[in-house]
Amino acid sequence: MIVVEILVSFFLIIGAFFALAGSIGLFRLQDFFTRLHGPTKATTLGVGSMAIASAIYFSFLKEGLSLHEVLITLFLFITAPVSAHFLAKAARHQRLHEDKDHPET
Amino acid sequence: MTLALIPLLPLLGALIPSLFRSRNLNALSAGAIAGISMLLLLLQAPAVFNGEMPLASWSWIPAIGLNFAFRVSGFGFMFAFLILGIGLLIVLYARFYISADDPMGRFYSYLLLFMGSMLGIVLSENIMLLMMFWELTSISSFLLIGFWSYRTDAREGARQALVITGGGGLAMIAGFLLLGHIVGSFELTTILAAKEIIHAHHLYPITLILILLGAFTKSAQFPFQFWLPHAMAAPTPVSAYLHSATMVKAGVFLLALLFPVLSGSSLWFYIVTPVGLITFMFAAYMAMFKDDLKGLLAYSTVSHLGLITLLLGLGSPLAAFTAVFHILNHATFKAGLFMLAGIIDHETGTRDMKRLSGLWKYMPITGTLTMIGSASMAGVPLFNGFLSKEMFLAETLEPNLFGAFSWIVPLGATLAAIFAVAYSIRMVHDVFFKEPFTNLPKKPHEPPHGMRLPAEILMTLCVLVGLFPMTLAAPMVNMAAGSILGAATPDYHIAIWHGLNMALAMSVIALAGGAVFYLQRLRLFDSHRWCMRYCDGKATFEALIRGLVQGGRTLTGLMENGSLQRYIALLVGAVFVLGASPFFGSSVPFIGPLAMSSVDPVTLIMGLVLIVCTVATVVNHRNRILSIIMLGSVGLIVSLSFIRFSAPDLALTQISVEVVTIILLMMALHLLPRTTPVESSSVRRGRDIGLSVLAGGGAAALMLAVLSRPYDTIAGYFLENSKPGGGGTNVVNVILVDFRGFDTLGEITVLVIAGLVIYAMLHNFELTAPGIDALGRPWVQDRFPMILAQITRPLMPLALLFAAYIFLRGHNEPGGGFIAGLIVASVLILQYISSGIVWTRPRLTVDNHIIMAWGLVIAVLTGVGSWVIGYPFLTTSFTYLTWPLVGKFEVASAIAFDLGVFLAVVGSVMLILVKLGSMNSKDAEIVSASVQKAKEKKEGAH
Repeated sequence: MIVVEILVSFFLIIGAFFALAGSIGLFRLQDFFTRLHGPTKATTLGVGSMAIASAIYFSFLKEGLSLHEVLITLFLFITAPVSAHFLAKAARHQRLHEDKDHPET
Repeated sequence: MTLALIPLLPLLGALIPSLFRSRNLNALSAGAIAGISMLLLLLQAPAVFNGEMPLASWSWIPAIGLNFAFRVSGFGFMFAFLILGIGLLIVLYARFYISADDPMGRFYSYLLLFMGSMLGIVLSENIMLLMMFWELTSISSFLLIGFWSYRTDAREGARQALVITGGGGLAMIAGFLLLGHIVGSFELTTILAAKEIIHAHHLYPITLILILLGAFTKSAQFPFQFWLPHAMAAPTPVSAYLHSATMVKAGVFLLALLFPVLSGSSLWFYIVTPVGLITFMFAAYMAMFKDDLKGLLAYSTVSHLGLITLLLGLGSPLAAFTAVFHILNHATFKAGLFMLAGIIDHETGTRDMKRLSGLWKYMPITGTLTMIGSASMAGVPLFNGFLSKEMFLAETLEPNLFGAFSWIVPLGATLAAIFAVAYSIRMVHDVFFKEPFTNLPKKPHEPPHGMRLPAEILMTLCVLVGLFPMTLAAPMVNMAAGSILGAATPDYHIAIWHGLNMALAMSVIALAGGAVFYLQRLRLFDSHRWCMRYCDGKATFEALIRGLVQGGRTLTGLMENGSLQRYIALLVGAVFVLGASPFFGSSVPFIGPLAMSSVDPVTLIMGLVLIVCTVATVVNHRNRILSIIMLGSVGLIVSLSFIRFSAPDLALTQISVEVVTIILLMMALHLLPRTTPVESSSVRRGRDIGLSVLAGGGAAALMLAVLSRPYDTIAGYFLENSKPGGGGTNVVNVILVDFRGFDTLGEITVLVIAGLVIYAMLHNFELTAPGIDALGRPWVQDRFPMILAQITRPLMPLALLFAAYIFLRGHNEPGGGFIAGLIVASVLILQYISSGIVWTRPRLTVDNHIIMAWGLVIAVLTGVGSWVIGYPFLTTSFTYLTWPLVGKFEVASAIAFDLGVFLAVVGSVMLILVKLGSMNSKDAEIVSASVQKAKEKKEGAH
């Protein structure tokens, strides 16, 4: 059991780290396109790790095999890149990369 | 059961005549339905004539004392016999009267509807049931009077009749409710036995006045008499039916029905007698001056109704007996006279007595029949009208409560009788004699025999009853009066000759005076015209209605000036005042005794984020996209708080609603400018801020007050009964589909209606989205990016599977039809967004409104299904099945209901969103054009 708990803790910490890193990145990075990296890391690696932790926890310590999390991860992995792609597309359309004077926009 | 069928058959069969194209079949089917009803009524005759009263009763809504109960009293039998007998004659007559241009099937449908409601009135045992039929007669007579709806006078007449009789009906409901309250039951049998209780009760006067208002308006008693002459815009068969045996007699029926319990007080006498007397005289006077044949008959009807009311007002048993007899006689001759007036109108093209004259040469049979009818109406001996009028005149001579002024009654009665003779003479003499006619629209001739036959039958009856009253009329009248008066029924011998007495003298005076009056009519006409300039009921009525409409408009203009801010300010302000008012002046401490629970950090942070997002929404409300994002965050936090307080169902619902709402808002706002200028004045903004702080703070304070008190909710009941009663462990879902299934049915109905309304509103609504954004940049050319389109397509089956999972587990675990419906709708909308309407629409072959309609149908059918197996509407039944492989599982009828909810949600959400998204888009036009083409191709192939 202790192995399982260590595993769960490990994934939780990894997930939390990426969520934090993603958030800091969103706040700190310089222009729109680099800032875009932040939230995508948080959703994929961050939430993904937490989903794995949850799957392990419920499968080994609770009622039995739990695969909901796999589905959640799958949906996340499908949707996160699409939204990132959209944001980038919109930014390019609005020519944010040419507007050097106002990087904050 | 046969008893209840008498009124129900015409009501249920009302649609049948409309199903046929052939005019003969229209009439035949209507006649057959009325005929069967008549047979069923006659089956009750032996019992009724034996003095019994057959009763049939089913409990309907026991909580409000409403029973589906019918009875055949002697009086009710006589009335039902009149309604059906004359109704059958009218069916025959109308077949010839209604022209080929008019929708005859519809006419008979209305007629049957009216007949059924009238029968319901006279046969009801429960007065609440009676009230329902009473209102039905108001509505069906509205339809009948306004049958020629292209004519202004018909529409006005119908509206007037509806307003007056409907308004009286409202008074009567109140009267009946009071009566039921006094007696403690709405059953007539109980009420009729409770005379002492009613008279002793302090609410008796107001009850009496309210009920009399209902009866007087219906029977066109003074001062409500004016609607009846204007109702003459109806086709003549309708007038003949409504104003002889049915509609207007409903009022006197009710007076006679409640006569045993309501009469006998001085109040009854002082209201009913003068009203009857004034109506009797005034209408008889008016009838003399009407040039329109039907107008004359209309006022004569009002006058005779006044006579009956007067008799009932006098209150003696013999007077009531006479009233019953006169109801019978009047129905016979008046129905016939109306038919004859219709024949004259039909064959000459006019009913104006100034143009009609000298018709005797062309229509001798019609003339003879009219003479019989008029003689009966005038009270000439040997006709039936004479008998009851003679008895009436004798009755007026009895001493009454007017004391020293008792002579007013016989004097008024004689005067009115003189007028009656005068107008009867006029009706015959002006039309059939005098000089030959000069300018008639048509060349007059006798009508087809079928059209004359009903009048012939009625007039023969007038003569026969006049000659042999004891054989023909006495049994029926004795029975009818007996059922009203009980032991007090007078043993009266109806006879033509009662010896030389005062009543006979009055009759003679009336006949002679009438003749003199008629000869002097030209002089009278002048004085009448002068008088009429100042008192016209219709003008007063119209002015009153105009004033009401104007007042309504002014009030609406004040409240509803088109400013949404004002509506919301009024609404929120009113809610605040209503909510706060109980706390002012109350000594109870505002906060209850329960101690506050400790605050945990997660909840606290969630609350703070919620507040920040809300404030941000308000602050940024001029930048629409930003405020939508903020609004979305608010919604998500609310759903998180549902999870925090263990309400996963609500959280799921909230999230899916949030998704759909945001899409809806995005679509709607896309059509509007992205930012709005400041328009409101600072005062108004101040008002709005103040109001919202007050209302929000008030709601919070109210929560605090409620939650800090110990209280017992109904939640415990639901928790206990969810599994044994509804067969599911998800209490929320069981409440939705079972305990409160009827509410849910109502809600999805509203949803469906809202969907349709939004669709209709947006249809052909011209509003084009701006082609550039706020900074003047054009929209991106790549409207359906490949990555999105390619990802959403495989997502669809996954999402559908998820929705099915959510739907199926709904009864026992979080989920259900509503959430599943929203998930399906959002994933379908995603296809529209990512791939465009041109790609998506042809692939979704079923129309959204059809899905929606099926949802509603399935939900209703599930409810009806419970009836079939003998349970109340929408009761869930469930059982456990065992299948190989799957194992034991539960099947509940609630899942079918939930399927209905699911489909209704999918259909209506899709209907709204797709319509909104495709507004004025070129793509949508392409799609509808191609659909049209495909349809034409398909039809061509066939």
